[in-house]
Amino acid sequence: MTDEDFDRLQALMASRAGYRLSRERLSLAEHRLGPVARREGFETVAAMLQSLWARPVASLGWSVIESLLNPETWFNRDRAPFQTLTRDLLPALSKARDGRRVRILSAGCSTGQEAYSVAMAALEAGAEFELSAIDLNPRAIEKARSGLYTSFEIQRGLSAAAMLRWFDQVEDQWRARAELRQRVRFDAVNLLDPPADEGRFDIIFCRHVMDDMVPAQRQQALELLEQRLVDDGCLFLGQDERLEDDSVAFRAVAGRPGLYVKSPAFVRRAA
Amino acid sequence: MTVRTCLIVDDSRIIRKVARRIVEGLGFEVDEAADGSEALAYCAATLPELVLVDWNMPVMDGLTFLRRLRALPGGDAPKVLFCTIETRADRIAEALTAGADDYVMKPFDGQILESKLSGAGVL
Repeated sequence: MTDEDFDRLQALMASRAGYRLSRERLSLAEHRLGPVARREGFETVAAMLQSLWARPVASLGWSVIESLLNPETWFNRDRAPFQTLTRDLLPALSKARDGRRVRILSAGCSTGQEAYSVAMAALEAGAEFELSAIDLNPRAIEKARSGLYTSFEIQRGLSAAAMLRWFDQVEDQWRARAELRQRVRFDAVNLLDPPADEGRFDIIFCRHVMDDMVPAQRQQALELLEQRLVDDGCLFLGQDERLEDDSVAFRAVAGRPGLYVKSPAFVRRAA
Repeated sequence: MTVRTCLIVDDSRIIRKVARRIVEGLGFEVDEAADGSEALAYCAATLPELVLVDWNMPVMDGLTFLRRLRALPGGDAPKVLFCTIETRADRIAEALTAGADDYVMKPFDGQILESKLSGAGVL
């Protein structure tokens, strides 16, 4: 891949997905683009990129973008947020919502491990909830919907007891039981697009997404997350992720790494 | 600082070596045993904090070892994780019922083992 090709890929990833494709990902990008080129019927990656630059971004462009995103995720990643969810947030919110189901969003859900971890924790806590999960990548969403994981994927973060409780063995893979799959609604949605409806969530998980974004788009994504969150809702970022000057919409909750609430200026409802 | 100890029980020297490297990387001092009987003799003398045990081994298998370990005085204390190529759901359930804290299907890697140990409260 030429330097010019890489520069253009960087610009494409930043503008469409907000994704920061750093130089050190060059060889990874080449490795991942090979299969995309074959699937799309090109002799080489270079030929595919030539064709890509010659036209407006359409399905080929999105295939390239999707292949370069960072899909890494696992069950119960960081652990602490799931304990905060079941021990503190769900009991408090269930009470405050007075019988209405607590609405939860897994934003940038990749292949669904986070959403299923939330669903398992909430079901085991006996909470009344609605859970949606969104990701830019339709292939990741398709896999998430299938609920099918390899033995490598299923074991990363999930105990054998939870695996037996919530998944069925299907040859050498493990599939989320219908009772679990039915609790999550998966949709392919770009976090940079304005919400398509007025639906607001009580809790948003958006972990290890912002760290991979370029600053301008990170700010945009945060503003759109703010619009999706109720005034007294909570946002979970990754435990080590910090909002410096990226957004004035949220403030960190002391003593809870990664947990954010809306800044007073962004609370719309009268006190 | 107290030394954290882990006993790795597997009849394959190569598997023991691979597991040892991972567990040492997580800060444990490691000893090895080649079957359940050796492991039980070790545990009767001194109880490790963590045991990684294979299922199928000569002399004494992992499940028999686990049951006898749990019957020893203080034998409830060590965290025991099966690490085995046995992947049938009913066998996994059998191991958990016998008192295993978790169960790892081979092949596994450092990320899987680390996440399992963290879930079992060892890390």
